[in-house]
Amino acid sequence: MQATPYRSGGELVRFENVGLRYGVAPETLSDISFSILPQSFQFLTGASGTGKTTLLRLVMQALKPTRGMISLFGHDTATLDKDEFTALRRRMGIVFQDFRLLDHLTTYENVALPLKVRGRSESSFRAEVMDLLKWVGLGDLVDAKPPLLSGGEKQRASIARALVTQPELLLADEPTGNVDPALARRLLRLFVELNRSGTAILIATHDLGLMQQIDGGRRLVLADHRLHIEG
Amino acid sequence: MTQPDMQNPTNINRKGLRYLLRAESMVAPDPVTDRALIAVIVILTFMAALTAGLVQFASVATARWQVVLASEVTVQIRPQIGRDIEIDLKHAEDLLRNVHGVTKVRIYPREETVRLLEPWLGSASVLDSLPIPRLIAVQISNDDPPDIISLSQSLTREIPGLSIDDHRTWTRRLSRIGETLIIASFAIFALVMLAVTMAIVFATRGAMAGNRAIIEVLYFIGAEDRYIARVFQFHFFSLGLVGGLIGGSLSIIVLFFLKIIAVNSDGLRETFGLGSVNVLSGPGWSVFVVTLLVVAVVAGLAALVSRITVFKTIDKFE
Repeated sequence: MQATPYRSGGELVRFENVGLRYGVAPETLSDISFSILPQSFQFLTGASGTGKTTLLRLVMQALKPTRGMISLFGHDTATLDKDEFTALRRRMGIVFQDFRLLDHLTTYENVALPLKVRGRSESSFRAEVMDLLKWVGLGDLVDAKPPLLSGGEKQRASIARALVTQPELLLADEPTGNVDPALARRLLRLFVELNRSGTAILIATHDLGLMQQIDGGRRLVLADHRLHIEG
Repeated sequence: MTQPDMQNPTNINRKGLRYLLRAESMVAPDPVTDRALIAVIVILTFMAALTAGLVQFASVATARWQVVLASEVTVQIRPQIGRDIEIDLKHAEDLLRNVHGVTKVRIYPREETVRLLEPWLGSASVLDSLPIPRLIAVQISNDDPPDIISLSQSLTREIPGLSIDDHRTWTRRLSRIGETLIIASFAIFALVMLAVTMAIVFATRGAMAGNRAIIEVLYFIGAEDRYIARVFQFHFFSLGLVGGLIGGSLSIIVLFFLKIIAVNSDGLRETFGLGSVNVLSGPGWSVFVVTLLVVAVVAGLAALVSRITVFKTIDKFE
């Protein structure tokens, strides 16, 4: 599979010498500097416990760095207020490792949730949500609730929810961690298609086999609390 | 790709109840937790509304005692050597009837006076030989009462041995007892409301604990903090309102039956002066108003606590 080649341009994400420590412990992440460009495709990889999820949480602003500068969509995050953060979060789609689907809502309602919280009426988004569900292979499970879905189906519902607002940047934390290799390949193809349609992708994974299937994807490798960029 | 407006990231929040009802479905229904919270709120609202009702009973009864005592004075004429007490009584009655502010005058017959003294002085035959003071019960207008001091002076000039007791000592004592009763009732009500507040805060926080995951999901898919807060606020306000209305209704029913028991019990009616006090009319409407206020406070508290919990949870993400 061929991802969009990395080109320089206006950055969606920019980290400059970012460090993070919890309390008085040594830094979990040290001197992290990288950027993510529009329509780019990259893997964030490293051994378990090296801080992949932590780095993703820094990007999604679920954590604040203890030093350094993070810029999102051209805005220094240190200077943003709550409403501005909300606006930036809406330009990102997030696929959680543990899916985070709401069990009392149907697959359709879960996927439509980001549109609903933006105040859109159901009549305005029903068709596009149904199309998206078909695209991820969940067209027959629109009324099923998450407890009845398999791991792979939950993962696809989670991905559909992240994509429904057509984000400029998709962050995915181990999106293939809970699925078999065949389904992992299907999901990866889905990410590549999405990337081709213009969304920048950052996938955190420790699955080497998955990364080898993609040509042209950058690798951000975490080791010893630092980040090394390959490709 | 659509770019969000950084200055005005959303146009939500302004679409009324329909929008809120739709948003409310995002809160996972948890029958066990919801019912437990409603049960706690029913009990607490019942206690608070009942206390509030009893405070009103106490203040109405106290006011009633004071009105009854203040609307009557007793004229006493002691027998004087060389004077006919019956003529003095008749003369006093005539004078009193012409006084502005006097609404009713009644001379206690000698037999009635003797009966009043019998418990202390023995049989009627003994009393017949004693010079017994005679009494006149005088009803006065509460709105426009006569000046008791000048009335007393003018009557004493006309009839030697006459004195007027305006029950001031009793009124003053009862007034103090009444005030103490009302202050004590308010203090109890304040304590009950404090307990209610704390219990609802803890119960709502407990019920919110299971919703952290939903708050997190809503936050990361781009919901505004205010929007998330309103979703939960509406849910917990609804629970508070349902529990509050049930508890409040129960307290009104109990107060209504207490009132029926009180007015049908001679002893209680006399003690509390409830004969002319109706819980469901006149001052009784305040029972409904105060109960509704308690319900509103309880539902508002549940909503406020859920709102604060949402903001605290979100602050931990940021």
